[in-house]
Amino acid sequence: MRFELLAEYELSQIHEASLKVLETIGIHTTSERFKKLLLDNGCKEEKGRILFPRHVISNALKTVPREFKLYGRNNSPVLEIGKEKAYCQTCVGTPSMMDLETGEKRDATVKDLEEYTRLADSLEFINIISPIFPRDVPQEIILTFETATLLRNTSKPLSICIESSRELPYILELLALAAGGKEALREKPIAMLPVSPLSPLEYGYDPAEALIDVVEAGLPLGVEPCPMMGSTAPMTVAGIAVQHNAEILAGVIASQLIKPGALVTMSSRATFMEMRSGVGLWAMPEMGLAGAVMNQLAKFYGIPSAPGGFCGASKIADSQSGYEHLYNALMEALIGSDIIGSAGSLDNALTSCYAMLVIDNELSSVVQRTIKGVEVTEEKLAVNVIAEVIETQSNFLEHKHTRKHLRAGELWVPSLGDRQTYEKWADKGERIEDKARRIAKELISNHPGLTTSAEVDAQFERVLERARKTEIGS
Amino acid sequence: MSIEDIFLEARETILQCDQERAVRLAERALAEGYDPVEVISSGFSYGIRQMGELFGRGEVFLPQLIMSSEVMKAAVQILDAAIIQGETTQYKGTIVIATVEGDVHDIGKGIVVSLLKTQGIQVYDMGRDVSTVKIIEKALEVKADIIGTSALLTTTLMSQKKLEDELRKNGLRDQFKTMVGGAPATQRWADRIGADAYAEDAAEAVTKALLLLNRT
Repeated sequence: MRFELLAEYELSQIHEASLKVLETIGIHTTSERFKKLLLDNGCKEEKGRILFPRHVISNALKTVPREFKLYGRNNSPVLEIGKEKAYCQTCVGTPSMMDLETGEKRDATVKDLEEYTRLADSLEFINIISPIFPRDVPQEIILTFETATLLRNTSKPLSICIESSRELPYILELLALAAGGKEALREKPIAMLPVSPLSPLEYGYDPAEALIDVVEAGLPLGVEPCPMMGSTAPMTVAGIAVQHNAEILAGVIASQLIKPGALVTMSSRATFMEMRSGVGLWAMPEMGLAGAVMNQLAKFYGIPSAPGGFCGASKIADSQSGYEHLYNALMEALIGSDIIGSAGSLDNALTSCYAMLVIDNELSSVVQRTIKGVEVTEEKLAVNVIAEVIETQSNFLEHKHTRKHLRAGELWVPSLGDRQTYEKWADKGERIEDKARRIAKELISNHPGLTTSAEVDAQFERVLERARKTEIGS
Repeated sequence: MSIEDIFLEARETILQCDQERAVRLAERALAEGYDPVEVISSGFSYGIRQMGELFGRGEVFLPQLIMSSEVMKAAVQILDAAIIQGETTQYKGTIVIATVEGDVHDIGKGIVVSLLKTQGIQVYDMGRDVSTVKIIEKALEVKADIIGTSALLTTTLMSQKKLEDELRKNGLRDQFKTMVGGAPATQRWADRIGADAYAEDAAEAVTKALLLLNRT
């Protein structure tokens, strides 16, 4: 598949503009450690902002790995990040949930976190799992609690957004326990840890400190600011790309200054605003378009990309959600994307929905099929087959070429979408949302259960206990 | 220029976001000896109220709303300087507003501030990452009617509860009405922590603020 959104000269205009932003406007940080790291390595301070000279940028970009592997446990498939496989990742941090029984929006709970993780674990084309944010957990240890819960309910690789360094030691400890030790975790990382600086160009204390600590821990980092066109970034798609690229590159550069060769992804989240109300939109087409531009830039640098894409403004798992999610994800995948996030989300990534996750699994399946492209070989061109069918006045149904390629998987098979005759469908008349909900319930109840050994589970409990005592004092 | 013409043009400069003309008009009104308080209330303030209503009906966009409040600020600054002490503009109420400690996301709060100002509410915007103690001090200092807090992160949302707890602990809870907002905030959250109101967006924030002010 070779798609490009921008011509080469347009891409280099954006690249040059981003360099200019880094060279002349720079970033601001409130972390002394982060500031010192940059200044000790050739950056300059001017009027309280940190500027990146060209040689610092180009040297750092040379050491970024093009590829790395992300591992699951219990024989879960190994993900090859950097090969543009459009792995699908669930949405992080939604505080609300669509109830599986009533279909009503409500606060996310611990039970949701468990069941939603089990659902994602069961869905073939959901590849990486991020936590929703339950409300019925002490918020002081929420990330620690979430990490333990994810590891207990899925064997797939994780992505855990690190809001601050405070909980990072517990998270690393849990991951190491699950991976079989600190060394094993570094060798075969089972999670990536994104951090989210603020737009425009602001590395606040928490994300900046977390960035340093994640890189030092040797786990894959994601640099994931979330600018909004017209409010925290320019109103134009090209403008948000320039700024977003600069603010992501700043983090990428920092990671290489800490440890040349550190694993990192450019995790764009280019959102925009409903200018009548101020609502932050993760909708289409701008999110997909800007995401595609960001992916093209990542490819240009040879850095893995991980935009948000399975997202939209719709409030329920309906046809609007279906077309929004498919548009954004497919746009990004066609240009070349390693990971596409936000799966299962509704309402601009504020709510997670069981039924939508089942629908996104289907969309992810067709997106991943699409980017495999169309294979053109002598055998597949089938000139002889056409000749034989015409000569024998037969049809293709009878030909062994048809049977062979059907078996080989030439046709994509939906796991959700309906393809029956009208009469058969009308028998039940089941709508796709209802079918998705039914499948979700089945998969959750059929999930084999705990994905950690009893021994590791007991060790988790001790880490949680310690976190509780230290962070809450009870 | 008659006073009626001044009023009309003042409203127009706001609706058209024409700062240069607004400033010139404010200067001219003073030069011609008109009462600055009247020029503000029946001219510029009237215009900004219209702007707020148009925004509420979805007829103008946020960038226009924000720009018109800048125009308003520039014109009022000139007129305010000429107002005799003690004879100040009448506000419907006073609100102290901030993004809570540990949170630096303040775009949404900025929109709420702009829209509140269109409705004749005096707003003290304390910015972002503001500690509970500072918010309470400010509210006491300016004798606020309402304290509004915003949070974007689920982890910083807790500070909205902390504010309620601190107010109660210090016996100040009855002196202020409280409002909460921000992406993870909900009506349920407001009920749980005992806040007086929750608003989903800027327009609702204004409606709820006016309701609270009418009740005090």
